[in-house]
Amino acid sequence: MSADPALTDVRPADAPAGGTGPADAPTASPGTAPGAPLLSVRDLRVMFTRPGGGRVFAVNGLSYELRAGRMLAIIGESGSGKSVSSRAIMGLLPPSATVTGSIRLDGTEIVGMPERRLRQLRGTQVAMIFQDPTRSLNPTMRIGLQITEAIHLHNKIDKKAARARAIELLKLVRLPAAERRFHDYPHQLSGGMRQRVMIAIALACNPKLLIADEATTALDVTTQAQIMELLVDLREQLGMAVIMISHDLGLAASYAQDVVVMYAGKAVEQAPAEKLFARVRMPYTRALLGAIPRLDATPHSLLPVIGGQPPNLSVMPTSCPFRPRCPVASDQCAEIPPLLEHEPEHRWACWHPDGPGAADQAAPVAAAGAGGAAGPAVASAQPPAAAGAKTLTTPGRAGSATGQGER
Amino acid sequence: MTLASTPPRAAALTWLSGAWAGVSSSPILRIIIKRLLMAIPIMLGVSILTFWVLASIPGNAAQLQLGINATPEQIATLEKQLGLDQPAIQRYLDWLGGLLTGDLGRSSVSSQPVTSLIADRLPVSAELVGLAFVLSLAVSIPVALVSARRPGGIIDRIAMVIAATGQSIANYVLALLLVLIFAVKAGVLPAIGFTPISEDLGENLKGMVLPTLALAFPLMCFYTRFLRSDLVDQLQREDYVDTARAKGAGPWRVLLRHAFRNSSFGLITLVGLNVSVLIGVTVITEQIFAMPGLGQLLLQGINTRDFVVVQDLVILFAAITVVVNLIVDLLYVILDPRIRYGSR
Repeated sequence: MSADPALTDVRPADAPAGGTGPADAPTASPGTAPGAPLLSVRDLRVMFTRPGGGRVFAVNGLSYELRAGRMLAIIGESGSGKSVSSRAIMGLLPPSATVTGSIRLDGTEIVGMPERRLRQLRGTQVAMIFQDPTRSLNPTMRIGLQITEAIHLHNKIDKKAARARAIELLKLVRLPAAERRFHDYPHQLSGGMRQRVMIAIALACNPKLLIADEATTALDVTTQAQIMELLVDLREQLGMAVIMISHDLGLAASYAQDVVVMYAGKAVEQAPAEKLFARVRMPYTRALLGAIPRLDATPHSLLPVIGGQPPNLSVMPTSCPFRPRCPVASDQCAEIPPLLEHEPEHRWACWHPDGPGAADQAAPVAAAGAGGAAGPAVASAQPPAAAGAKTLTTPGRAGSATGQGER
Repeated sequence: MTLASTPPRAAALTWLSGAWAGVSSSPILRIIIKRLLMAIPIMLGVSILTFWVLASIPGNAAQLQLGINATPEQIATLEKQLGLDQPAIQRYLDWLGGLLTGDLGRSSVSSQPVTSLIADRLPVSAELVGLAFVLSLAVSIPVALVSARRPGGIIDRIAMVIAATGQSIANYVLALLLVLIFAVKAGVLPAIGFTPISEDLGENLKGMVLPTLALAFPLMCFYTRFLRSDLVDQLQREDYVDTARAKGAGPWRVLLRHAFRNSSFGLITLVGLNVSVLIGVTVITEQIFAMPGLGQLLLQGINTRDFVVVQDLVILFAAITVVVNLIVDLLYVILDPRIRYGSR
């Protein structure tokens, strides 16, 4: 489905192609979506205050929407704010975090909600699974008890019923020998089985939204595919929405319907998976794609990497945050490019997007007032002075991920 | 006779390996046997070192008992009587042989059996150390939990200031301070002395308050700080805490059901390590409060060159340390399923 051969390489052989889910309708965007989206994040900002008084701007105005029953992939490198923004949905940020903006889940505003109410929400509305299943289960508690705890926290049912429900959940996540495993401790299970238990805990109270924070990163490739397929199946079966946080674009291409690419705490490109991978526009997304090792690459050739340093988050960016690492950066990039809906459902924040049509950058920006206004984009549309003249022709994939590779 | 065709030695070996296989399947038995085997060289080393150090001290029990005016003949007679004229190796082997048969020997000064001397005084020290541990844990665990609930909060700050102060006060200074305040100025508690439990429990406990406090307070502060920081660490770093919170568990449930159990391993280790230190501190504390415990017996033994008593006590303390470490290891097994069912 995706035109990019690099993606086909990393996709597990029997994995469903991206966008095969039941709901392949246009991405949720206000006005076009029938009914309100399940999750609506608007201008989310998260700032951490360090003990010394220093500040870290982890999320800087993130907006996206997610409809029920869909899987959204949030992609970005470490420190891009993908995890922090998702933890904000759970209200699971440390006290040093200041959250502003709006997160509406099923019509309820989460930002500023008191802890007591958040607690009722966790598990029943939103649930979360984490990266390392060896560490995310309590090592001193039997897995059965860890599941029934989640059930008892939100339901007044007796032990026996909770146990039956827990075993039902273990079967739902396809844990072999569920009854016997009920009494096991986490260390007696393999990594994949532990992640299944984590999913069972997350599903215990039928959440509407499941957040999988790098849920397959710590697993081997085969197990990763199994867990991802389980998530896809459960999403269809239970009709819940899933946010998968990952740094792996290939994974997103294989399983997600919507993709948000984050950089320096902001969305830099946003589209349904098929649109995005048919034509990646933002040079950062392109560089991420280029950094995926390819099977058809010349043996012993250097891996393309994204040169330079991740952005410094202790200062608010005044120019495009990707500018220092961007192969096509120009003087114009001193202005922060707004995230605009340049093509239907495809938003990006870049003055010099890849691909055809890049030369007439001015057109969508000029049209932003009309067409892009509905999008949750930063309002200030900068007049792109020398855009047409300066735009470079699309560099090849290898070229855009600047080959600063080491052995 | 065909039955006896297996040589007895091979049969014994088969039996041994079979027994070991049976033992090694149970981690508890395995640990007990391993620890007890390890204890043999440890105890032997302690006995040699103690004997050698004491034998190198100038003067012996005979000289000290008879005083500076005694004639060499008198001293020689008494030395012979006490067996001190024997060569050191001979005395060591005699003592060691006695230990192995359960005979701790007799005091060179009072010629009482050391077994009965220890039996008289052990309850005093055991009560003191036991109360000190119970009190320190009973205070530090709840305080640490409340502090970890809101790190940097008002309770946490007050507790940490007190704990840092208490940890840096030497036991004997604290003991004297307590005597000054509660015995001398306020006059509510006895400054010295000990009433056996069998005589009067109330009086016994009254006399125990100050020495127990002197022993327990620094420990309490130490444990509170340790447990609090371990709990905060668990809460901030461990993913299973996030999982629990993501389920919708409240802060107390996360602390008690999840973090505390995982923090308890560190605390248990610490308590186990403290036992040997605490024995040393008890010696001083008993001296200050004039309590007839093992510490007092030890100091008397050193002053009167009553070497058999000193050697026996040092061996006893070493044995207690070994046993406590064994108990700590067993507690790990009970509390930590990873060891209980873990790989061998």
